[in-house]
Amino acid sequence: MNEHYRPTPGTAMEGLDTPCLVIDMDDLDNNMDVIANTYEGRSAKLRGHSKNHKTPAIAHRQIRRGGTVGGVCAAKVSEAEVMVHGGIPSVFITSEIVEPIKIQRLAALADQAEMLVACDQESNARDLSKAAQARGVEISVVIELETGLLRCGVRETDAGVALAKEISSLPGLRFRGIMSHQTIPDMPDREDRAVEAARTIKGVIDLKEAIEGEGIPIDIISTGETWSYDVAAEIPGVTEIQGGSYLMMETHYSYMTEFHYAAKILTTIISTPKPGVAIGDAGVRAVSSLSGMPTVFDRPGVTVEALDSDHAVFKLDSDASLKVGDQVLLIPAQQDAMVSRWDRFIGLRHGQVEVVWDIQARGCHN
Amino acid sequence: MERPIFHPVGTPVEQLDTPALVIDLDVMDQNIKTFQSYFANSIVKARPVVTSHLCPQIAHRQLEVDGTTGGIAVTTLGEAEVFANSGFSDILLANQVVTASKIRRLCALAGQTSIGIAVDSPDNAKQLSVGAVSAGIELRVLVEIEAGMGRCGITPGPEAVALAQVVDGLPGLKFEGIMGSVPGPRGDDDPSDHEAKSRANLKIVLDTKTAMEQAGLAVSVLSVGGTHCYAQAIQMPGVTEVRAGRYPLMDHRLKSFLPELAPAARILASVISHPVEGMAVLDAGHKSTAPDQGRPVLEGMEGGVATRFSAEHGIIELEGDAQNKLNPGDKAWLVPYELGATVNQYDYFRAIKNGKLEGFWPISARGRLA
Repeated sequence: MNEHYRPTPGTAMEGLDTPCLVIDMDDLDNNMDVIANTYEGRSAKLRGHSKNHKTPAIAHRQIRRGGTVGGVCAAKVSEAEVMVHGGIPSVFITSEIVEPIKIQRLAALADQAEMLVACDQESNARDLSKAAQARGVEISVVIELETGLLRCGVRETDAGVALAKEISSLPGLRFRGIMSHQTIPDMPDREDRAVEAARTIKGVIDLKEAIEGEGIPIDIISTGETWSYDVAAEIPGVTEIQGGSYLMMETHYSYMTEFHYAAKILTTIISTPKPGVAIGDAGVRAVSSLSGMPTVFDRPGVTVEALDSDHAVFKLDSDASLKVGDQVLLIPAQQDAMVSRWDRFIGLRHGQVEVVWDIQARGCHN
Repeated sequence: MERPIFHPVGTPVEQLDTPALVIDLDVMDQNIKTFQSYFANSIVKARPVVTSHLCPQIAHRQLEVDGTTGGIAVTTLGEAEVFANSGFSDILLANQVVTASKIRRLCALAGQTSIGIAVDSPDNAKQLSVGAVSAGIELRVLVEIEAGMGRCGITPGPEAVALAQVVDGLPGLKFEGIMGSVPGPRGDDDPSDHEAKSRANLKIVLDTKTAMEQAGLAVSVLSVGGTHCYAQAIQMPGVTEVRAGRYPLMDHRLKSFLPELAPAARILASVISHPVEGMAVLDAGHKSTAPDQGRPVLEGMEGGVATRFSAEHGIIELEGDAQNKLNPGDKAWLVPYELGATVNQYDYFRAIKNGKLEGFWPISARGRLA
């Protein structure tokens, strides 16, 4: 861990050692307020995904600003531990937890906070039940339905109903409902997104009706993500939206202009080896090239041509210039992968350090 | 930080909490011995690039075996600070340091341990000289030559000679020689084509050495990298050291170029779902494998291929007899494609011997990018 570097509030961006992960506080607050306003007066609310920021302080900030269910999603047990220890009262682990050692950790957390977990197998439900009983806790279980990601999740309505019956019958478990996650390619038009969300989420609503038809109550339908944050919330029956990317934003969602690019990598030019080329001190280890090259912020004519492990190669148009020592901000193609490489956010407002947040769940793969 | 369960020493590896970055110490030690033996009886020595593993314990093991310069190379100032604190007395920061704040840190570090630095512009050399003089220390300087990487480095030839002369004349700096990095292969490059390319790039560096010597400069160090071009570098008179990082742990990218070395670092993952025939889902996604430059490769399961990695899920497609294998709770092994990127995602190596845990080795310089 990078223990030593913690700039004092008030430090100007120009004085920061680079590369570093900065977050513009005005943009972050804007993104949180879009969520608060979107869900105001709606029955569906956001359950923000903590995998995107891995920082309890940010989770609390969104909950305070509004629009949420008052809890978060987490991808891993260890990530959930960080959120629970950081005071988040309700955490939904959106992956299947199957290893005995992790089920024990989950059950221990259920003593401290409301814990929900995804499930797609009856044998896993029985293991969760045993662990909950042994500790005298209750674990909330949500069936995962596959609706386009082709990974975890039950595939058919009948299998979902059978699993719901099994979970409902098991001591120590509380059956809560259904979750499903979808991702889409670029789809800027709101109408198109609404149609696509309705199409992909239809299976979830069908399964909900089938389970309720068996007399089993459901109180959570958790689905959607940033691309459908507004349109999925309009589908009757949906209670929670799992959104995360909206907070930091990424070029992948560039069409969602209501959200601002909040998190960026600050890099310094360390070499200008020939005309038209400049080298920055941030590479794959800092910014990630998954989903594509990062985009240069607010410097017309400058693009990222290549990303080595620790160097960015910038290409300059004839009217652009960069000299050694200049700082450049990079917007990620995928913020999730970028954030997972850092130990802290440096929060800037008007170009000065306002806050430094430890990314406490960075590295929480377990 | 990672939040693994710290199992007791002796725990069988399959029982470790996953995903886990596991290193097999016997395989690693054999890789170190094999690779460094090429240098043991040569005037060319290996300088371990610790950026590949970021782990002082591994670096100490490398220096204990014959064949090295006795020093290490790093890529960032933060890494140099960690390794200086771990007792390394000769550290080459094979990169440029240009900002006032970092030059102060660099010169402070040079008060503790011997520091070499790469320079590719006269302005930067002057800044370093001012910093070194005011800190009362001396920096060893290598002029970095662009040798095919297309990033830092001064153009070979007269410009490089002029820069060396500037460095040589500045107080607080000791001109030592030249550094060049030669581009590594992609996984599907043809090994013999790659060798020819490496030779041509290395010759660029050697030609500049000759030009500097003709200008009356003493070039005592000629440092080239990395692991992939050692065989060509070792045969070229004038090269004094090869900076090499990947050889102790290896990765899939270099596998076909160094077949005598075996992957010592692998990711242990668990199956969390087997939703349909022919597909298993692992608990290791892109955050625990860093597939930016190439996907990790599933090991030891014929008919199984790692095909997709989302943030926290890895998808294995299974064919033939493997269709119903890899059920929830089962373990799978992945060999990283790009070692450095994968190591960067973890705080600990789980060191094993004969399939049992020996200890958690801190990846102490992880995240020290600045």
